[in-house]
Amino acid sequence: MRFFAPIVGFLSLASTLLPTVLADSKVSKFTSLTAGSKLKGIVRLTDALYTEFTSAPRNYSAVVLLTALDQRFSCALCQEFQPEYELLAKSWVAKHKSSDGLFFGELDFADAKATFQKLQLTTAPILYLFPPSTGDNVDVAHIETPYQFDFTQYGVPAEAVAHFISQHTSHTPPVVRPFDYVKFGTMAGGVLVAIAVLSIAFSIIKPIIYSRNLWAAISLIAVLLFTSGHMFNHIRHVPYVVNDGRGGVSYVAPGFSNQFGLETQIVAVLYALLAFATISLAMKAPRIEDPTGQKAAILIWNAVLLVGFSFLMSLFKQKNGGYPFFLPPLF
Amino acid sequence: MSSLEVLLKDESTRNIRRLLKVVILITIAGAAVSSRLFSVILDPWFNFRASKYLVKNGFYNFWDWFDDRTWHPLGRVTGGTLYPGLMVTSGAIYHILRMLSMPVDIRNICVLLAPAFSGLTALATYLFTKEMKDESAGLLAAAFIGIAPGYISRSVAGSYDNEAIAIFLLMFTFYLWIKALKDGSAFWGALCALFYFYMVAAWGGYVFITNMIPLHAFVLVLMGRYSPRLYVAYTSWFALGTLGSMQIPFVGFLPIRSSEHMAALGVFGLLQIVGFVEFVRDQVPSRQFKTLLKALIFIVFALSSAVLVLLTVSGVIAPWSGRFYSLWDTGYAKIHIPIIASVSEHQPTAWPAFFFDLEMLIWLFPAGIYMCFSTLQDQHVFVIIYGIMASYFAGVMVRLMLTLTPVVCVSAAIALSNILDVYLSIKTPAAPTAGAPSVNERKEKKPRVNILSAGKDSIVGVYSKASKIAVIAAFSIYLFVFVLHCTWVTSNAYSSPSVVLASRMPDGSQHIIDDYREAYYWLRKNTPDDAKIMSWWDYGYQIGGMADRTTLVDNNTWNNTHIATVGKAMSAREEVAYPILRQHDVDYVLVIFGGLLGYSGDDINKFLWMIRIAEGVWPDEVKERDFFTPHGEYRVDDGATDTMKNSLMYKMSYYNYQSLFPAGQAQDRVRNAKLPAVGPTLSILDEAFTSENWIVRIYKVKDLDNLGRDHLSAAAFDAGKKKSKRTKANKGSQRKLRVV
Repeated sequence: MRFFAPIVGFLSLASTLLPTVLADSKVSKFTSLTAGSKLKGIVRLTDALYTEFTSAPRNYSAVVLLTALDQRFSCALCQEFQPEYELLAKSWVAKHKSSDGLFFGELDFADAKATFQKLQLTTAPILYLFPPSTGDNVDVAHIETPYQFDFTQYGVPAEAVAHFISQHTSHTPPVVRPFDYVKFGTMAGGVLVAIAVLSIAFSIIKPIIYSRNLWAAISLIAVLLFTSGHMFNHIRHVPYVVNDGRGGVSYVAPGFSNQFGLETQIVAVLYALLAFATISLAMKAPRIEDPTGQKAAILIWNAVLLVGFSFLMSLFKQKNGGYPFFLPPLF
Repeated sequence: MSSLEVLLKDESTRNIRRLLKVVILITIAGAAVSSRLFSVILDPWFNFRASKYLVKNGFYNFWDWFDDRTWHPLGRVTGGTLYPGLMVTSGAIYHILRMLSMPVDIRNICVLLAPAFSGLTALATYLFTKEMKDESAGLLAAAFIGIAPGYISRSVAGSYDNEAIAIFLLMFTFYLWIKALKDGSAFWGALCALFYFYMVAAWGGYVFITNMIPLHAFVLVLMGRYSPRLYVAYTSWFALGTLGSMQIPFVGFLPIRSSEHMAALGVFGLLQIVGFVEFVRDQVPSRQFKTLLKALIFIVFALSSAVLVLLTVSGVIAPWSGRFYSLWDTGYAKIHIPIIASVSEHQPTAWPAFFFDLEMLIWLFPAGIYMCFSTLQDQHVFVIIYGIMASYFAGVMVRLMLTLTPVVCVSAAIALSNILDVYLSIKTPAAPTAGAPSVNERKEKKPRVNILSAGKDSIVGVYSKASKIAVIAAFSIYLFVFVLHCTWVTSNAYSSPSVVLASRMPDGSQHIIDDYREAYYWLRKNTPDDAKIMSWWDYGYQIGGMADRTTLVDNNTWNNTHIATVGKAMSAREEVAYPILRQHDVDYVLVIFGGLLGYSGDDINKFLWMIRIAEGVWPDEVKERDFFTPHGEYRVDDGATDTMKNSLMYKMSYYNYQSLFPAGQAQDRVRNAKLPAVGPTLSILDEAFTSENWIVRIYKVKDLDNLGRDHLSAAAFDAGKKKSKRTKANKGSQRKLRVV
């Protein structure tokens, strides 16, 4: 065996040498294409270039975006992703002048219908990553079939794509977002203006800020929102109402640990009504000086309380079928 | 004066009233304890084990306790990773009772600790509410907290968890804070710090107090209510409390190094500046100087905030820990810390849960908050802030309903006692005579601008007896229904421990499903003492406690990577899982399967979380996407993905399950799915035990093959050549499976 080793080594060297030469010529070609591209860091591909770019042998990693930017296709995701992709490519070539084995290509549907047909693609955008097919970092399983970035799972941010690339290749592309001077300027200006307005108009604003009514209202609204399950709506993104399939809408979600938007608003209003009735009974009614008026007020608020609470309990019974209690008049 | 009024007002009957009060409080405490005794099963077992260890080996050994029965092969430095308050409390009670020559088993103390402390909570709530309004409101609040299901849920007999004592400590610390603030007394402030220390020792939720008290102080300063009383109360609490909290090893230097505690420090600094300025202001009555001082406060405050931010950015001060941060940024946990998001207690709360836990109190609560606004002394500000913060937290996490319940009880008691004050009064005002100026008109009447001014006119009283009776009758009925509701909720929902499941038969009789205990008992009796059991972390404490076997992961989720390892083993193919099992010395694997019974809390339903947690650590090897069909469905039937069908969890859950049904009829009753006609095969595991209703299934990990083959080819070889032997083996394993 030892005798054969040099021969085997030589043969394997020869078999790898040819593709390496071929691939090296491609690297220099795409490096110059990248440098000469109008979009910084991205090679604009055509049908022919795409084939050359992605076919084996490659001793580089190729990222290809297949997109449809033309307004006629109204591909919102393509439009949304384009600046992120440009940012990613720009950040890469800024650090790596000669591309260093990672190229970004872009293929627009308008330029290359044939490739889309050949690959039988009906949706855009699609982002492929072709890892090297020769060299040190060869990824045997993905010479012909590239990795595909999942837009539905990770969204469009350049950071997500950078993470995707670093997972499958030896490159860790940086994402350098340019400092947004306009945003910073508006923010700083806004803060200054706010401070100026506050200091000038403080005498007018002061009674509002120190108004007990305002704070009471804010507090009560906050408490009512939170205790009627608003945070659940916010976190779970529940629908406002749901079509019940018979032409109407159902506003009470079935099940104990589920709810709809409208349902929580009804509950919040109900809590507010009951609380207000209690407040009226405790604090307003005993201050009414007219005996008849007082009697009527107490009667009315008491009735409101009873009906409201009864309705609340029947609503709860809808949510929890086995609930045994009720109050008249609603069952 | 009527005789009743003599009884209520006269000096000579003060003792009778005091006696009545004590009797009522004792009755409330009694009701609170007895309503928690519907059923008794000790849980979580780890705390009980720790208490036993403490009582047996003493306090110092407990600090140094290294537990090698969990988190195999890492073990757990228990003394430094738990809040010892609970165990020390029951240990202390144990020793006191022994000193009084009443030898009580530590197990009984652990079981009855939570109900006993709920009695104390009622007392603390009484004291707290008394500071807010008066004694009658206090008694009402005590009665509410005694039976409110929101608190019972965590304090039934046998629920031996940190929360059992923590709510008492929370309320008592708050009471002492209010007392200290009202009197401006360093003594009460120091007591407050002492109980704060106890709270820190008992529950991670102490951070709530750490932020509530500074927030209260801060709001008071903003409202222009700074006073020397506030200064004395706050500084004495902060200095002593912080020093105290640093004595707990698990907390250590966190109070000066983490963002959760920075608010307290910042307000402490602010109070020093404000105090200094107030002092100087008294000496120098110059207008310019005052403006200068105001500017000084502002600049120092801004500067110290900037320093704080700088320290946080540079990493000297730890940022908000994930658990607390996820309360503010509600989407955070789902993306970054799946282990927190996976716990069902950490889900947001839908409105029925609020009503379920608090019933009528939930709408008396805003009324009480309003009444706090109409009086608005310093202590009422506290109730308002507490109410808003706690209702936000309870909305974000079901578990934090526990901290909301006390303030709801206090606030509702204030509202209800206002009602009772008005309508239970025997005095009837004389009807105003025509022409005579009324009580309120005599004062110069100003146009109403203030909606809260309902409370500004003086009270006339209620004229009609009928009105009084109507209102009191209505509220009596509500209270009666409230009591019924609480009893119903407690007996139905909060008294069935997770270990035993109760179900109703078609004829209405109760059927107890006791698979967990059956399986744990089997483990205890049929496996070697040093066997290592792998299961999902939910069952770690139970296996450790009831089966007394070593586990890989448990409910103390301190090591995410280790949990992810278990998740990976569960979600991987057999040949990938086997090396993991071998490396961790796993002898048995336990899974929970509810498909036969329709028990939805089983492992296949928790499986996605295992995958997500594993994916967080090994994104290349475990991919959540692979477990979903191309249409994005999570399926277990014929349409399930290959990754799903080949995962260890799927195989363990459905292994042999098809044999229960006629060919091709196998049905999963949780997911309502018809299973594939051919069931999964297992080559690295042997079925060891399946419980009566198939809820718990235990598998033994095969030893390495004698001939050095991998298990798959060994199984294939057996299947091909030794068919007769295989069927025999099958029969043997089927005899063990009892079918209902």
